[in-house]
Amino acid sequence: MGNEAIARGIIEAGCSVATAYPGTPSSEILESLTRWKKEMGHNIYLEWSINEKVAFEVAYGASLAGARSAVTMKMVGLNVASDPYLSATYLGVRGGMVLIVADDPGPHSSQTEQDSRFFAWLAKAPVLDPSTPAEALQMIRRAYELSEKYEVPVMLRPCLRVCHSRQNVTLNDPVDSTYAGPFKKNWTRWAAIPKFRLALHAELNKKLEKMTQEEPECSLFLEHQGSSDKLAIITSGSVSSHVFDLIREEPQFAMFNVFRINMPFPANKAALQSIVDNHQKTLVIEETYPVIELQIDDRRKLVGRLSGLVPSQGELTPEVVEDVILEAIGEKPRTRPDVQIKARRPSLCAGCPHRSSFFMLRKVFDKGIYPGDIGCYTLGTNMGAVDTCLCMGASIGMASGFTHAQLEESRPPVVATIGDSTFFHAGIPALINAVHNKASFTLVLMDNSVTAMTGGQVTPASEQLADGSEGTPVDIEAMIRACGVKFLEVVDPYNFEELQASFERSYEYSVNKSMGVSVIITRRPCIRVKGVQLSSDRYTVLDNCERCMTCIRDLECPAISFEKESKSVVIDSDTCSGCGFCVSVCPCGSITRKVS
Amino acid sequence: MSQIVLCGRGGQGIVFLTRLIGDIATAKGLNVISAETHGMAVRGGSINSCVKIGEYKSSLVRWGKADFLISLDENETENNRHFLKENGMILENSTSGSTSETVRIDATGLARELGMAQLENVVTLGMASTLSGFPLTTDEIRQGLMLDPRDRVRQMNLKALEMGIAAHPSNLV
Repeated sequence: MGNEAIARGIIEAGCSVATAYPGTPSSEILESLTRWKKEMGHNIYLEWSINEKVAFEVAYGASLAGARSAVTMKMVGLNVASDPYLSATYLGVRGGMVLIVADDPGPHSSQTEQDSRFFAWLAKAPVLDPSTPAEALQMIRRAYELSEKYEVPVMLRPCLRVCHSRQNVTLNDPVDSTYAGPFKKNWTRWAAIPKFRLALHAELNKKLEKMTQEEPECSLFLEHQGSSDKLAIITSGSVSSHVFDLIREEPQFAMFNVFRINMPFPANKAALQSIVDNHQKTLVIEETYPVIELQIDDRRKLVGRLSGLVPSQGELTPEVVEDVILEAIGEKPRTRPDVQIKARRPSLCAGCPHRSSFFMLRKVFDKGIYPGDIGCYTLGTNMGAVDTCLCMGASIGMASGFTHAQLEESRPPVVATIGDSTFFHAGIPALINAVHNKASFTLVLMDNSVTAMTGGQVTPASEQLADGSEGTPVDIEAMIRACGVKFLEVVDPYNFEELQASFERSYEYSVNKSMGVSVIITRRPCIRVKGVQLSSDRYTVLDNCERCMTCIRDLECPAISFEKESKSVVIDSDTCSGCGFCVSVCPCGSITRKVS
Repeated sequence: MSQIVLCGRGGQGIVFLTRLIGDIATAKGLNVISAETHGMAVRGGSINSCVKIGEYKSSLVRWGKADFLISLDENETENNRHFLKENGMILENSTSGSTSETVRIDATGLARELGMAQLENVVTLGMASTLSGFPLTTDEIRQGLMLDPRDRVRQMNLKALEMGIAAHPSNLV
């Protein structure tokens, strides 16, 4: 897998510290590192950090200490880490530092289609754009060389199709961990005040200039030699692999020259311009924003995103790329079948403890406003229990806004939901802010003990660290109390009666009496966590079922469905995980445990 | 050169099959590139993955280029039919009967006989390996599954594979 190849590259380059916050499509990089650390007996330090900003800062500190370091995240994670990133490029690094940011054109599993190469441009730092897993592995070593030569953090920007593609790759032996020597104090650089920042900015500009002159990655290489100057294609990264296959498979495209650039920023502008000048027309195909295109000054013979030829949103699939090339040479797009995809929506697992929390939230806080957050539990939308999803931790800040903006006469209850990992990531400042500013709402903290959506990574409350060694678990209850919260209860979401009673007390506290933020921790481990004991009980629907559909519409359990032929509600024993919550949910008492 | 699209629902073990086919083909010395679905869709949503064996750089199968469409859920077949080439073969996990274009196997039913409906993916792969033109032989897949170090997983997968192989109806058109 591309992410495994990247991890391998990190190990092979002699990196000593790697940090990450999980996020699709980047999570498997640190996971692979933890596996190999064990298998190879490698002494690399690994951590799942509390968020991307901290992950960046830990890796940056390690670099200043002289070690090679790596930090990995998804692209929206870079928004969180942008503060240290944009400052670090001015200050520079000591040990090589590679920042790996996975982009998600589509988007398949993200809030935006933002292009991290643009962030590199904003930060004035180099970015490498691999087209395949094999190339990503090789680029990591090169990224460390560049980072140390120019003393800047270097970004590797793999797209989803690199991260989640598998390919056979060639492995090399790891080199010994390199060490740039102990930290040397120099406050005019490492703690620079604005006066010195100006000089550092000038220094950074010089580095970029030197890079574009000296490094081959900043210039283009001819990936496919055509026979005509009618059209040149300039491409980069993951989408260039589609271009490459199309040129080989479609004889009418074989005549065009295809150029690729491995470092889209900073590009050698003269090299780019000369391609444009030497062809009748040049087409730029890149994902997801026009980073290469904007570095070409004379765009009169250029087509791409800025000219409107390449779609400005959505993944550039092979079909889109084929039609874009056809249009560039004045031909009609291919006629393709009209594909109507009836995609099955994802759903919380059968037995997911979040499902019972959401069911009760809807039941007790009827007609409320439900700010939601990012994780598996965004799927609470299926149950009408999540009204908003903005970014990590936003449920709590937005809940405050909802309560402060409400008119006296119509005050719908506000109930925010957040997972444990997201709470640690960005929820804590928002909670302190809500308490301090006297917002009054309910916060349901759904604590399943892991970062579930991305594969069950540890959180700061876990007893184990990324590599399985013993950590210091942080007490969530103590944390919430320290935020100033006076109403805190912990319940098992499988326990219908206790869950209902706790939600009702919270309603009284935050809604009826407006006494402030009440927090309910609904605690039960994710059913996918290794070692979690699931019940072998299975359930069945009795003949007295009145088909009220509460279990299907309101509980939305994927194990329960309505069978049209028999006009009856059925429970699929293969899908069911035995939680038994549906027994309490059924208003007719028609669901019962099977006697085995 | 061979291109396969696999489809189904999140949780059916499509990523497992994708990885297995890739590993076995790599062990044969072939070049492989594949694309998978991860993230939110794996919570029971529609899933597909692509496997391309041969000299490819792109991991995505283009529309109309797949030699095989292996569908673990009959409701997902239509969502992915456009990947199939003319005269391509569909293998579908379904209780219905086979046709000239679509070979069907009740993989879920057979896997349930083994006591684990989740083995439907390997049962289906067993059947796939008997289809003419499939890039991996039954024996290569058997060897691949034997590499699993977990005793029980290995045994169950091998049983499921044999069940899929045995289900091949000799009277197919």
